[in-house]
Amino acid sequence: MSQELRQDNPPESNDSGLHEKGLSKGTVGVMGLVVIGISCIAPAYTLTAGLGATVAEVGTSLPAILIAGFIPMLLVALGYRELNNAMPDSGTSFTWATRAFGPMIGWMGGWGLIAATVIVLSNLAAVAVDFFYILIAQLTGQDWIADLTKNLWINIPTTLVFIAIAAYISYRGMNATKVFQYVLVGFQVGVLLLFAIMAFTSDAPFDRTPITFEMFNPAGVESFTAFAAGISLSIFVFWGWDVTLTMNEETTDPNKVPGRGATWTVLIIIALYLAVATGVLYWAGVGTTGLGAGNPDNQESIFAVLSGPVMGPLAILMSLAIMSSSAASLQSTMVSPARTLLAMGYYKALPSSFAKISPRFMSPSVATVASAVAAAAFYVITRLISENALWDTITALGLMICFYYGLTALACVWYFRDELFASARNIIFKFLAPLVGGIILLVMFFATAIESMKPSYGSGSNIGGVGMVFILGVGVLLLGVIVMLYTRVKHPAFFKGETIKTGKNQAQKNLSI
Amino acid sequence: MKLLVGYTADERGAEAIELASAVVAGTKNASLQIAIVLPAATPFSAIYPGGDHGYESILSAQVDAWAAQALALVPAGINASVVARSVSSIAEGLIELGQEFEAHGIVLGGRKRHVGGFFMPGNITNALLHSSPLAVFMSSPTSLDSLRNAGGKITRLTCFVGDRPGARAVIDLSARIAEARQVKLRVATLVAHKDVAVTAEDLDAHVKNTREHLVQVIEELGIEAQIDIVIGGTIDAASSQLSWQPGDLALLGSSRLAANRRLFIGPKAQRILGNLNVPIGVIPTLETTR
Repeated sequence: MSQELRQDNPPESNDSGLHEKGLSKGTVGVMGLVVIGISCIAPAYTLTAGLGATVAEVGTSLPAILIAGFIPMLLVALGYRELNNAMPDSGTSFTWATRAFGPMIGWMGGWGLIAATVIVLSNLAAVAVDFFYILIAQLTGQDWIADLTKNLWINIPTTLVFIAIAAYISYRGMNATKVFQYVLVGFQVGVLLLFAIMAFTSDAPFDRTPITFEMFNPAGVESFTAFAAGISLSIFVFWGWDVTLTMNEETTDPNKVPGRGATWTVLIIIALYLAVATGVLYWAGVGTTGLGAGNPDNQESIFAVLSGPVMGPLAILMSLAIMSSSAASLQSTMVSPARTLLAMGYYKALPSSFAKISPRFMSPSVATVASAVAAAAFYVITRLISENALWDTITALGLMICFYYGLTALACVWYFRDELFASARNIIFKFLAPLVGGIILLVMFFATAIESMKPSYGSGSNIGGVGMVFILGVGVLLLGVIVMLYTRVKHPAFFKGETIKTGKNQAQKNLSI
Repeated sequence: MKLLVGYTADERGAEAIELASAVVAGTKNASLQIAIVLPAATPFSAIYPGGDHGYESILSAQVDAWAAQALALVPAGINASVVARSVSSIAEGLIELGQEFEAHGIVLGGRKRHVGGFFMPGNITNALLHSSPLAVFMSSPTSLDSLRNAGGKITRLTCFVGDRPGARAVIDLSARIAEARQVKLRVATLVAHKDVAVTAEDLDAHVKNTREHLVQVIEELGIEAQIDIVIGGTIDAASSQLSWQPGDLALLGSSRLAANRRLFIGPKAQRILGNLNVPIGVIPTLETTR
């Protein structure tokens, strides 16, 4: 009897409201989208982590490389948008690349994304911890506290605590509110502009370097390898911008808002980056001694060194901006590898325990813990074996982003291969833009990977004469290949194409498991 | 009777369905509306890189699977269906769903948590206890043991009242619920003698007055009920002296602080909640319909 009753009352999944996306439908305007874009980019964090390493590669051509780095990002993001529109329910490099190229390459696309996010998590946590101690030192006036972060017995446990807190918050499904994001982003942008203004109006710059047009000329970079390394680093500083293009349903007008939001975001970000980059060059120069931006000791975290001399007592604002931006990013980025791991578990590309969802918090459970453990392990290992862990991880991260972005861009071209020339629009957005962007990024990937084998590359850390960046970057990818081959033997369903079918002619939700 | 079950796909959710089934069993149109609530997607915490969309489709498939599991837990003879919805606040969402589906109450599974010696209901239960316009029923593992010992059947209702005017409404409503279920009603009053009296004579007089008042109320309402007045040094001591039988369901009225037709759990009721090892329902006192 109960059986009959139950059949009269099937799960009302169609009424579930899940597909309505709750209250989020159409609430984000251009301004909101710009705030979301900037918060995903987290400029205060990316500048302090990436600026020094980029100066090390390209010297005074910093402004040029920042502008040039945006071009492949733009081209690839245009392809992303096409994939997102064609497969709105999939949403990651893993599923897209699997649909286009099949399980093996798709698996590696997912691995690349997970690796990139795990690396950035460990870096975000480290930067947050550095500025946590700097901030306490500035608040208390006790300078020795800032140096605590150099003591590994203090630094590593603190970083692990930060990662654990971020994982717990994202497991609990706690979300940043609109007001929180506006305040955080406004504060970050304001403080960075203040830094640039104070650098240019300073009475006593450390090494006054006049700003010239040559600094904006990408051809001025001395070698191709420096250019490639610079591009892969500047990809890192724009990483996050493409979120503005893939937000559609959430916006008030999906036809206009994403395009305008993306344009405004990139204009604001480039203006901000150029202001800060030229400010740093003007005030500190690229000299390799003292406060020069070319000094390897300063390159791990440029604002940790420069904000005090440039901003005086106001440096505390910079510490607060960087700490809040990196801690907030740490929490929001934690969700990403967890969800990709979950998707891979769900489609049987990894053991299905990764697909567990917490019934109370509706968030990935096993996958969140796995992401946090991976980020923590990555951090501890690099911290212990590299003299300059932050620098090397950022460079390795650039490699990883080039890899999975490039792969996804080419996936776009291949996925749409039978309609590439159907219209002028397709030629541009589905063919040329992702093809050129993808090729640029993969060329950058290989060029940087080969170059990074040299022991002197990056911070100069090496193991057995092989550069640390190569070991971190390529090593993680090779580890992925091993894990993939192991999974393929143990859980062959995904690799036989039973869970996600390659190609277009199928239902959007292929949940046949 | 129709109850809305706040369901999570774990032991708590299963316990909530078990309690809800026992409460509605044997009533007219016995039915459960099982609700799976999800936090609303908030665009301002954009997930990067990767986007939300892949997760949404996996989550909705998972919810469908949970819905099927939930329905399988409902015993024969009870009509049940599942609704899943994204809500901005889980407590508010449950209240909205309860009103939308015209449920008579909301059922939650829970755990006893003690913070600093005080019983603390979970966040969601707590929010419901302070704002719900519908009755709220709560289970815990020990309280379900009591229910299971009675074969999953409610055998008696115990309504807690004070000696103040609100008692009448609580007794009235409890009596009607008991009648619908054809079970006995017990009216219990806890007296903390330190609060009411200095001397033994005062205490006796207080107890006598209270009993007379309750007898009068029961006679006026024309119902049958057992009256238990339990005395202890404190509310905790008194409530631990009250005897229970398998299948008891405790009912408490909302505090007089509550806005009309809304729950507001008072400090005394909160203490009682922490001491009971039977399922508990908290009912809005001014509710006059069944």
